Amino acid sequence: MEKVILIKYGELSTKKDNINFFLTKLKDNISYVLKDDEATIDYDLGRMFIHTRNIDRVLDKVKNIFGIHEINISYIIDSIEFEVIKEELLKLLKEKEFKTFKVETKRSNKKINSTSVELSKNMGAFILKNIPNLKVDVNNPEVLINIEYRLNNTLIYFEKIKGLGGYPVGTLGKGLLMLSGGIDSPVAGYMAIKRGVKIEAIYFESPPHTSIEAKNKVKELARKLAKYNHEINLHVINFTEIQEEIYKNIPHEYLITIMRRMMYRISAIIAGRRNCKILINGESIGQVASQTLTSMSAINEVVKIPVIRPLACFDKLDIIEIAKKIDTYETSILPYEDCCTIFVPKHPVINPDKERCREYEKLIPYEELIYKAIKEHEIIKLGELKNKEYEDLL
Amino acid sequence: MVYLDYSATTPVGYEVLDTYNRTNKDFFGNPNSLHELGVKAKNLMNSATKQIAEIFSVNENEITYTNGATSSNNIAILGVALQNHKRGQHIITSKLEHPSVYAICNYLESIGFEISYVKNDSEGLIDFEDLKSLIRPDTILVTICAVNSETGVRQPLKMIRQIVKKENPNTIIHSDMTQAVGKVSVNFHDVDLATFTGHKIYGPKGIGVLYKNSNITLTPILYGSGSVNMLNPGTPPVPLIVALSKAVRLATTDIEKRERFIERLNLKIVDALSKYEGVMINKTKYTIPHILNISLRNIKAETFLHALEENEIYVSTNTACSSGNMSQSVLAIYNDKVRASSTLRISLSHLTTTEEVNKFITTFDSIYKKLSGLHE
Repeated sequence: MEKVILIKYGELSTKKDNINFFLTKLKDNISYVLKDDEATIDYDLGRMFIHTRNIDRVLDKVKNIFGIHEINISYIIDSIEFEVIKEELLKLLKEKEFKTFKVETKRSNKKINSTSVELSKNMGAFILKNIPNLKVDVNNPEVLINIEYRLNNTLIYFEKIKGLGGYPVGTLGKGLLMLSGGIDSPVAGYMAIKRGVKIEAIYFESPPHTSIEAKNKVKELARKLAKYNHEINLHVINFTEIQEEIYKNIPHEYLITIMRRMMYRISAIIAGRRNCKILINGESIGQVASQTLTSMSAINEVVKIPVIRPLACFDKLDIIEIAKKIDTYETSILPYEDCCTIFVPKHPVINPDKERCREYEKLIPYEELIYKAIKEHEIIKLGELKNKEYEDLL
Repeated sequence: MVYLDYSATTPVGYEVLDTYNRTNKDFFGNPNSLHELGVKAKNLMNSATKQIAEIFSVNENEITYTNGATSSNNIAILGVALQNHKRGQHIITSKLEHPSVYAICNYLESIGFEISYVKNDSEGLIDFEDLKSLIRPDTILVTICAVNSETGVRQPLKMIRQIVKKENPNTIIHSDMTQAVGKVSVNFHDVDLATFTGHKIYGPKGIGVLYKNSNITLTPILYGSGSVNMLNPGTPPVPLIVALSKAVRLATTDIEKRERFIERLNLKIVDALSKYEGVMINKTKYTIPHILNISLRNIKAETFLHALEENEIYVSTNTACSSGNMSQSVLAIYNDKVRASSTLRISLSHLTTTEEVNKFITTFDSIYKKLSGLHE
């Protein structure tokens, strides 16, 4: 009897012809996460198994992988004989303390003559006979005994651990996340990753108006997303000159709108270069002046690439809840100014006029500035790797 | 020199000292500063904390740096008392604690808290039945050390946790793990609060750790600025922290292998000393091999210590922190005043060599013969 980690796919199993593509990717993703652990993975169309001696540590890591519907600590018995299975099960049960139980049987091996219900019933009777003072409780059992009869072997497992769901990262292509230091954008990135999008991130800095702390905060957020995305490329754009030009030349009520239009333009160009099919950002309808429908429309018109806003219809509190869950919240609320919070006009326009945006933009040589910013931009590769600069100190 | 007092303190490891020096030189910035130097120091400090957290499988925010084990014990025990005194004022501890724990408990007793001392059996193990019976609805804290500093008796913290939490799930468990960390494997999840210090694990003096489970709230006993370290505010000593992190990593590597080696040295000494009529070996089945406590029947321990010292061999009487008194731990285990009044502690390390042990054994023999003759 071997103890393994059993993985169930959920939504993935609805894929037909290309299910193998999804499963290979899932296996690759799991291998990547477990690269430092001794573990082997095998799978069929219904189940994936991780064989390892460090069940607990591997389990903790697997919990953060998308494309997994459910995880179980499972025991594999190399037999489909009821007589063999019942004895092995008894050994497992004797280590547990419980008063009520229920047996649930799955029978993917239809050569077995009895039905699932009969198998459950027989096993239940056997347990009752062999362990004193137990009761069956079909509604709310303390221990749920799952038995799966497969072609050549049988699985037994008790506890069900919910996986993250979604699709294996990378199965749906790449997207570019507009990452600020705020609460929303990391959550938006997380949700895109969850649907199988591998992300890169873009961040706009305005030194010396924004500090190195602010940049480090964004790097930290990117690193937290890297946990799900494997690693992450962060594109850092020096936005100082553009922002100062806007501030000097453009009516202040339009500062934010024009600034966002510039960010969109730059992001679209970077996305094109990095083979990202979409832009992703944390905009949520109505949250701030630049996120009214008119504003979104005025800003969005400068790019052709689809802009996905996973949080468009989320309330702030719901976003915060996810941010806490993925451990980005505490980092996001660190009080460093980013380039969206400096140069804020007292009364930003709520319903910007596209025609005016175009007029105002003519006041600055923005194409040239954008070209320059992109040419000089910095790419930082972030993983959960240690910082080389002081690795040997530790 | 033969140093056999590793449980009092340890020499700083070469690599640890190197880390300390380089951090002082290259990362001298104040981690609370906003500029680049501060940020660099802070990032390094955070990585050091992350490493410690990973080694003990806890969260980074559950690690507080202190000045050492005594500080950690104070912050933990007083913090629990101040936080929970409305819920209850009853604290349980053992008879095998470090003197700092008694000092804190005595203070708390003087301001109205009630302290109970759980019994232990003749092997030094906490009496589980007694512990169970002592726990009350108003018991706010149980503090029991992982390894006794004088005798090396190790307590089964997991078992203690099960008993305590079953009787009163709200009772907080603290353990002084100073003599356990780096010697034997420890599990912080057995407790809510844990103490250890750098200088017992080949790290620098002046830096210790308090692990606090994030579900536990302590009232701080120190106040200052900065929100990073609520329980011990002030400018964090980055070089000490980074050096500590390195020391923890080195001390927790190969821990079982080292333990087996030390066990062999321990047995060698036990074999040699057992033949003396006036020597009693204070070893039970729960003692760890790093600490070997013996009692001298007719010779004053302090005299023996100084005689060994003349030969450049260094050991302890009781622990360094409580020298001069009767050994409370030996008394608690054997209930024998004669046995407790003249004890020597020989503490071993993976750095100890067989030659050193041999030299100790032969020197012990000649001193024993000389001194026991005098007293007869």
